[in-house]
Parts: sequence; structure tokens; C-alpha cells
Amino acid sequence: MQLVTEAITSRKTMSSARPEDPEHAADLLARIAADQSRAAFSELFRHFAPRLQAYATRQFGNEQTAKDLVQETMANVWHKAHLFKPDRGSAATWIFTIARNIRFDILRKNKYRQHDLSADDLWPVLAEQNESLDDDYALDQDLLMQQLAVYCDQLPDAQRVAIQLIYIEGKSQQEVADALSIPLGTVKSRTRLAIQKLKELIHSDD
Amino acid sequence: MIKFHPSEQQLVEYVAGDLSAAMLITVGTHIDMCPHCQGHVQDIEEQLSQRLFGDPMAAPASWSANLDMMVDAIIKSPAPAHRSLDDSDNYLFLEGKRFELPATLARNYHRIGSWHKMLGKMWRAPVNLGSDEVLNFIYMGSGAQVPEHTHKGHEATLVINGVFVDETDEYRDGDFVLLDGSHKHTPQTQQEDCLTLATLDAPLHFTSGLSRLLNPFSSLFFK
Repeated sequence: MQLVTEAITSRKTMSSARPEDPEHAADLLARIAADQSRAAFSELFRHFAPRLQAYATRQFGNEQTAKDLVQETMANVWHKAHLFKPDRGSAATWIFTIARNIRFDILRKNKYRQHDLSADDLWPVLAEQNESLDDDYALDQDLLMQQLAVYCDQLPDAQRVAIQLIYIEGKSQQEVADALSIPLGTVKSRTRLAIQKLKELIHSDD
Repeated sequence: MIKFHPSEQQLVEYVAGDLSAAMLITVGTHIDMCPHCQGHVQDIEEQLSQRLFGDPMAAPASWSANLDMMVDAIIKSPAPAHRSLDDSDNYLFLEGKRFELPATLARNYHRIGSWHKMLGKMWRAPVNLGSDEVLNFIYMGSGAQVPEHTHKGHEATLVINGVFVDETDEYRDGDFVLLDGSHKHTPQTQQEDCLTLATLDAPLHFTSGLSRLLNPFSSLFFK
């Protein structure tokens, strides 16, 4: 649990206007999905592309293949931003899973060619998802709700407000976004981070 | 209640894509069936992405001039093909029974070959992976027994539906069992039949895999 707590703490101390900040990164993806915002994409690209490039160069030992991975990963981020679900994980994690899939396909293509297993067959990160797949997650939230009253006070203000409006007042995430005049993506990521934090609090009491 | 799970290391290698194709499907199918491992997988994804993206670093100097061009090239690129999840082929039919396939297997339905009778009440169908890896469905009717055997390398067996027993335990839906050359066993079914997925583990040697990003104190995290 140590590692997670540290990660959360370090996130909190970061400036809120940078892609390292999960809420901000989620907003950038939301803006790409909603308005094809070039500015939002440039910002994500500036942050993620060099890291992907460094990683892929180490992996493949080949500059060109590394570039292909960066290009393909970021092209999916641009074209498939609407598939990102802020309540299921962070933007960085979503981009990581896309890069993982592309790396897998590059490695297998060199080895076996066609008829071979593709990353999509294993991890449908980029498939158009059915909303009903979120059911498991909803159940998870119900369980956590029973503990909310006890742990709620320990959340950062912004997250606590989101949780209270949604779980105590019964507002939808969209209604919360409207009420607070913040983007829907922000509400979703605040909710997700709050639930993550609550899980940690609950675990640390075990 | 699932009793037997893949190791933490296997889950990390699954998330990183560093297992063999057959093991990726087998472990992936277990995860489909196991909420416990689904939670672990989410945590591992978060950890690996943290390792990949967490370090502060600047773009290479040569990029700054070209950044707009690179962004332009992506924005003008054609959208990748649209993929959707087709859930029409979720069932296996055998011996007058219908078995529902977990998501990973349903997505790979087209790889499933035809059923052949083995010995006694046992049937086998291959899952064709386009490589020389061996991944099979094994179906045992009730009251069937496999002669005692050991394994070359590792053999992973995942129970899809039903129950089988051996000298040491009982294995039910979702149980993932990894056996190596030191294990000798005689799997058998009793009143119930059993559909399993079985593979010999022949790991690919991705020595510089993503999973190496994860350091040994992950056990702290996945208590």
C-alpha cells in the first residue's frame, strides 16, 4: 500500500495544469473526444510521446520501430479518445494499455505474420464497448458506500464534495458537473480518485 | 469460489504482454472469471504506467522544432479501423451440452478447431494460435480418468466449467492450476463432467519486457 499512497501524495502536490495531474489529463482526453481539440492533443503529445519514445527505443533498440510505436499509440489517443472511461482508470493507464497492445502486435508481426493472435483478441482496449460492461464496477461502488460515512472526511475537499453530491444527494455525474461548472471528465476522475483513496483507507484498517 | 489463481508474476507478465500467446489466453480467461484478479490487474496496469510515464523528462532537442509537424501528421492520419465486440459466438456445443465462453475465449472463437475423441470419455479441440504453441480445450465426461502422468515444462489447466479432482485437490470453475515436471497426478471426473483449457507453458524470451519495469517490492502492494 505504501507505493500507492506515495503516488497519490505526489500527484496532489503537482500543479493542476499539467498532464501529470490525472484530472487534467482526463480533461484533455475529454476535450479531444468532444471538440477534436488540437491544443489538448498537443499538450498530451508533449508529455507522453517523449516518454514512449525513450521506452520504445530501449525495447526495440531501433529508432524507427520506436517511432512507429509512438506514432501509432498517439494516433489512437487522438482518434479513439471517446473510448477512454475516466471512471475505469487514469488517462496514463489507458495510454499505457494502448502502447502495450501496439508493442505486442509489433513484436508478434515480426515473428509470425498473419493468423497470429493480435493484441485486440486479448485486451479489447480499443474496441467500442458496451455500456453494460460497467456493471461490475457499479457493484464495487455499492460495497464501498457502506464505509463512506466513516472515511469521507479524510478525502481532499474537491473529491469529498463530488462523492457527497453523487452518493448522498443522488445527483448524476453530469448534474454535478453542471452544478460545479466543471467538465464531466473532472467529476469522473475525482470520483475515481476518491474511490481509490477510500479503498486504501479501508484496506489500511484491515 | 475460485481457489487457485495465477501467480502475481504471471499477472504482471499478462498485463505487460510478456507471456506466450497460449498463456495469455489462459490467464486472460481466468481473469475474465475472477473478480479478485481483475482488481489486481487494474492495480498492476496503474503501477506499470506509473513506471513508464512517471519520470520527469524533456522532449529530445530535435523534437521541439518538429513538434507541430508531428502533431499535424497524427491529426491528419486516417482513423484506425473501427473494432467492435461481437458477442454472437459465445457458446461451445458438445455432447448435447452448451458451454458459455468467457470474453477472452469468445473473442478468439474463430481459432477453435473441431472436436476429436481422445481415449475413453475425453474429447479435445485445439485453439489455433498461428504459432507452434499448444492450447487445447479438453472435455471429460463424468466418470472419466486420465492415466497418471507428469509434465514436461509447465502445464497450465483452467477449469471453464464443471469439476475435476486429482490426488491433491478438487478444481472447479475458474481454478487455474500450474503443474511442472515434479508433479505426478491422475486427474479424473466423478459425477460431474468438466471442460478445461490446457496449455504447455513455453514462455517467449522477451528479456527486456515491460514487466521488468516492475520491481520486486510489488509484493508489498499486492498483499
